[in-house]
Amino acid sequence: MKKIIGIACIILALQSCTVVKEYEKVALSDPDMVLSPRSIEKFKTSFHAYRESASGAVGGKTGGGCGCN
Amino acid sequence: MSYNKARSIKNYSFLLLFIFLGSAGYAQEEQQETPQPYKKKVLEKTEIEFLSSYYIQEGENAAVSGGIGDEHLTDITPTFIVSVPLNEDDVLTIDAGISAYTSASSSNINPFDGNDSANPFQASSGASSSDVWAGLNASYSHSSEDRNNIWTGKLSAATEYDYFSIGFGGSYTRLFNEKNTEISINTNIFLDTWKLIYPIELRGDNSGNFNINRYFITGNPNYSPQFTGFNDKKRNSYALGASFSQILSKKLQGLISVDVVRQEGLLSMPFQRVYFKDISDSFIEEFHLADDVERLPDTRNKLALGANLNYYINEFLVLRTHYRYYTDDWGIDSHTAKIELPVKIGHGFTIYPSYRYYTQTQADYFAPYNEHLSTEKYYTSDYDLSEFNANQYGIGVNYTDIFTKFHIWRFGMKSIDLEYNRYDRNTSFNANIFAVSFKFIQD
Repeated sequence: MKKIIGIACIILALQSCTVVKEYEKVALSDPDMVLSPRSIEKFKTSFHAYRESASGAVGGKTGGGCGCN
Repeated sequence: MSYNKARSIKNYSFLLLFIFLGSAGYAQEEQQETPQPYKKKVLEKTEIEFLSSYYIQEGENAAVSGGIGDEHLTDITPTFIVSVPLNEDDVLTIDAGISAYTSASSSNINPFDGNDSANPFQASSGASSSDVWAGLNASYSHSSEDRNNIWTGKLSAATEYDYFSIGFGGSYTRLFNEKNTEISINTNIFLDTWKLIYPIELRGDNSGNFNINRYFITGNPNYSPQFTGFNDKKRNSYALGASFSQILSKKLQGLISVDVVRQEGLLSMPFQRVYFKDISDSFIEEFHLADDVERLPDTRNKLALGANLNYYINEFLVLRTHYRYYTDDWGIDSHTAKIELPVKIGHGFTIYPSYRYYTQTQADYFAPYNEHLSTEKYYTSDYDLSEFNANQYGIGVNYTDIFTKFHIWRFGMKSIDLEYNRYDRNTSFNANIFAVSFKFIQD
């Protein structure tokens, strides 16, 4: 697990040297390229918070405020 | 769902819609009174999204009856999300909804309804067979002139028959490197208060319609559980999160996020039964009488690490991936992986096939039905805390109309989303989730 995170950080750090200009972000501006979940996914995130022990790091509940785990 | 409940949901929905539309109109009027030099707004116009889901689950490991019993549950959740631009820089978002459910397992908090023979696999018709959850979240965000700094404050409240919660939090986001890099930190605090509801046979007051002395007890007829109630009704949750997102190329971007959560107080569910194998079993009809309720530590520390990577393959296809590692000090480790492949099929339609895999180890305090010992300090037979893995298959469709041709009052419809997901555990549990969303933009 530590290796995966380490490698991901290195890749991100190296890639961040390249700057994509605003006029080059046509593909990145596609609505499906958004990094956060779509609003319709909030129900799944809520269901997972109730029925699974893991929560967090997906933009939804992390515990509390829902009567869930 | 009863007729009264359906009518209640409908009334809630209309009330919420009325409030939101009113506030949207008020905000717009204020802007008209004080004309300002043109500056591109963070949000150009008021957006209203109506969402709803229908959820149904099945299973045979109900926690209310100690790890055996019917888990049948249905839930319907109408929700509104309204985003209102207050000026060029500030946006107010209200997310309000209700969740009305019926549950076979919750109904067996009191299985002795006098109709059919009490049985963990038979739903009771008691008061706890259904409930309504209502929640309201408000967030206010302010963006700097250059849009590189975003501050957000949040307030929330939620209520259900057996608990009430208030929450507040905030976040700060900083964009730099020509908006190629984004760092965000956030914090949330939830203060929950529970109403302690125990299994009917443990209440000891023989109140209401239940008097244990009226029943014939089989197995061990000398049923005398050593039960003491909880002192603490509070549950506080403190969450701190951070994320780092980076544009990696003209077609690739990624995000790494971390959430740290500490929970304190009543972390047990007071109505979830536990049976001890070193205590003789007592039954009324076919229902095993509780030896105790679940007992879990009064603190829990959680850590979740997530990563998203999205790749724009071509004008028809995008690849969305997500991975999460989770661990906590109750002994649970979990991995989540998800892949989604949005396919644009033309005329404004996009199809969203997805697959999600989830696996977790069991909590240190979990054991199946009638496997715990009375000498243990902590115990639960809630299968949500057991070892399992789950597969989830989904399909969704989105229709976006950039011209917003279809109108309702002063709002044009921007998009419609439909989604279905099937969730299967490697235990007896499975679920189906249907969701729909309609998004409107003010003219």
